[in-house]
Amino acid sequence: MASASCSLLRLEPGSTGSIHKIAGMNPILRRRLADLGVSEGVTIRLKGKGPLLGPITLECNGQLFAIRRKEASMIEVKV
Amino acid sequence: MSSIALVGNPNTGKTSLFNTLTSSYEYVGNWAGVTVEKKVGSLKNGAGKLIDLPGIYSLHPLSRDEGVAAQYLIEESPEALINIVDASQLERNLLLTLQLLEYGKPTVLGLNMIDVANARGIQVNAEELQARLGIPVFPLIARTGKGTGQVLSVLEKTEAIPAVSFRLDYGALVEENITAITNKLKQVSGLPSHRWVALQLMEQNPVVLDLLKKRTDVSELMALCDACQSSLQKQKLALTLPQWIRSIRMDYIRSVCAAAIDTTRQKPHNLTERLDSILTHRFLGLPLFIVFMYAMFKTTFDWVGGPLSDLVDGFIAGPLSDGANSLLQMIGASDFTHALIVDGIIGGVGGVLVFVPQIFILFLMISFLEDSGYMARVCLLMDSTMERMGLNGKAFIPFIIGFGCNVPAIMAARSIEQPKDRMLTTLLMPLMSCSARLPVYLLFAAVFFPAQQATAVLAMYVMGVVFALLLCKLFSKHLFKNESSIFIIELPPYRMPQLKTLGRSTWEKGKGFLRKAGTIILAGSVIIWLMSYAGPGGLNVDMDHSFLAKFGGFIAPLLHPLGFGTWQAGSTLVPGFLAKEVVVSTMNIIYHAPDTAGLEGQIAAVFTPLSSISFMAFILLYIPCLATVGVIKKETASWKWTFFSMGYSLVLAYAVSLIIFQGGRLLGWS
Repeated sequence: MASASCSLLRLEPGSTGSIHKIAGMNPILRRRLADLGVSEGVTIRLKGKGPLLGPITLECNGQLFAIRRKEASMIEVKV
Repeated sequence: MSSIALVGNPNTGKTSLFNTLTSSYEYVGNWAGVTVEKKVGSLKNGAGKLIDLPGIYSLHPLSRDEGVAAQYLIEESPEALINIVDASQLERNLLLTLQLLEYGKPTVLGLNMIDVANARGIQVNAEELQARLGIPVFPLIARTGKGTGQVLSVLEKTEAIPAVSFRLDYGALVEENITAITNKLKQVSGLPSHRWVALQLMEQNPVVLDLLKKRTDVSELMALCDACQSSLQKQKLALTLPQWIRSIRMDYIRSVCAAAIDTTRQKPHNLTERLDSILTHRFLGLPLFIVFMYAMFKTTFDWVGGPLSDLVDGFIAGPLSDGANSLLQMIGASDFTHALIVDGIIGGVGGVLVFVPQIFILFLMISFLEDSGYMARVCLLMDSTMERMGLNGKAFIPFIIGFGCNVPAIMAARSIEQPKDRMLTTLLMPLMSCSARLPVYLLFAAVFFPAQQATAVLAMYVMGVVFALLLCKLFSKHLFKNESSIFIIELPPYRMPQLKTLGRSTWEKGKGFLRKAGTIILAGSVIIWLMSYAGPGGLNVDMDHSFLAKFGGFIAPLLHPLGFGTWQAGSTLVPGFLAKEVVVSTMNIIYHAPDTAGLEGQIAAVFTPLSSISFMAFILLYIPCLATVGVIKKETASWKWTFFSMGYSLVLAYAVSLIIFQGGRLLGWS
């Protein structure tokens, strides 16, 4: 089965995907994510969504962090 | 004396290690694990100085904290480095380690939190790591001090730490350019390792570039970097040079980790997982946070802080004043000395010391929230609200700290990555009712709104927050157009804070207040007392003919439209600029009030309920205190913004008080 790629936001809370593409993101944020080891090919887990359309919590390489939904939508994952 | 720098990612336990390795301790503005300013301590074995740098992910700075660390490494030359890494997050931590190895100074690697890693089923092979990186590796548990003895003994002789022989091959094309750049750099004096500078330049590190610009003509160097980047693009190796360098490093790190770490038995982080499922829950998270905040304020002002403050007040008004009175009479002190000590010093400083318990309790609870890891979650919970106001969730913590004192709060804003968000937080901080303004509210609320004291005080806090939010929206729209705000926050695992660390950080935050009581407030009280004691007619004059009355009378007409155009009210405002705590001590002196009850009686006679609200609002808004102005200048590095913050608050205070008083009168209140 060919795995399709979709926005990270489409993941169910608790499920993982591997990062396929990160595009159009604010360069500062992109660098910070790279510092945390978030880049293409890495497995990422959606932990939960914050209140009031707030940031979503993600886990990557054992590190928990949160970014806003708008930015998370720029991360494409393969399930 | 040698100097050794302590470098590592945020939340790796640098501060714990610093504390165990050094005997003396200097201030850390710490929240959610971020050490704000580099601090220096002397090593326990007397071998030299240890410099604790802010937590950084790489040498390429994004926030001001990170800039401090990068700048230190470039401009100063430590004899050796201690790189502390989190054993359970090795892959990410090693990125910084490689950059430090390229720096070329003798380095030891502190492999921290091996207990945490082991508990999670991660086994790190320290010997393998040592062999691969070519530097001594020490397994550590910095929180308990395990393994730190070995590090300390190695540091005794920094010259005995083997030189770093690490060298990563970046591929023929890039290596060629590195050689060309290092050849050019040979003409520049006082640089650390040339290869390191060349690589940092290729990574477009702004701090390195700025430094080189000061010493040499960088256009040739930049041309070399650009040429290198376009050949990389032509060969379809990478889009940019920094990306290429990073990918080479990541490949190397992966190979090291594959050899040195066994993660086959890795388990998830259970406690954190379970706590987060409740504390950051999409519906429960915010209500729980509000409950915590309510409990925090209740504890500070009602449950614990209030009774303790009453005890202190009782002691100062009772035994201390009486004791001083009888002692002074016994030794036959002159009237002047007697009045100076009892009215000036005890009346002035004592009126402020009453608030010490409340301030320390507030700081203790803030430290607990920071150390436990909950603060980072609060930023997450508040981000969507803050974003609507044009700010960033990370600004929320500084604002909370601002309720304690604006000065550390403005310093805490440093960990916000974007200059715009940092500037807005700094500019709006004075609108947070710091603990120094609380005495004024408490005093007036007790006199005029005895039935709704808590509500009245809370209303002032809320008023500050509302104006902060409104102005935030306004400033971010008109002063910082086109600057978007970003948000990313790392969530450290929850842990139980250690009592020792809590005590230390509470003391570090609170001692500034005590120091102020001993200096500015003491001096202010004495000066004000002198001005009220002396007048054009000589010493010991009637208060109405004192210098203070003359001076207060001079600004009183300006304040008349606001409802408190008396010389007494006017003369509290200028010393209030020195420190807001002085407002109440000035009143103590002016009204010759021996205790709180006496002062309350005097206030009731002079103010009306309406003018008291207007006065409280004015005190809340009118101008940041001198210490805050100082820190705003330091953090913004701009007189323009410093004067702007003073100016807008004065205008705001005058306008708001005017509206309250005149509006209230139109509605027929008094």
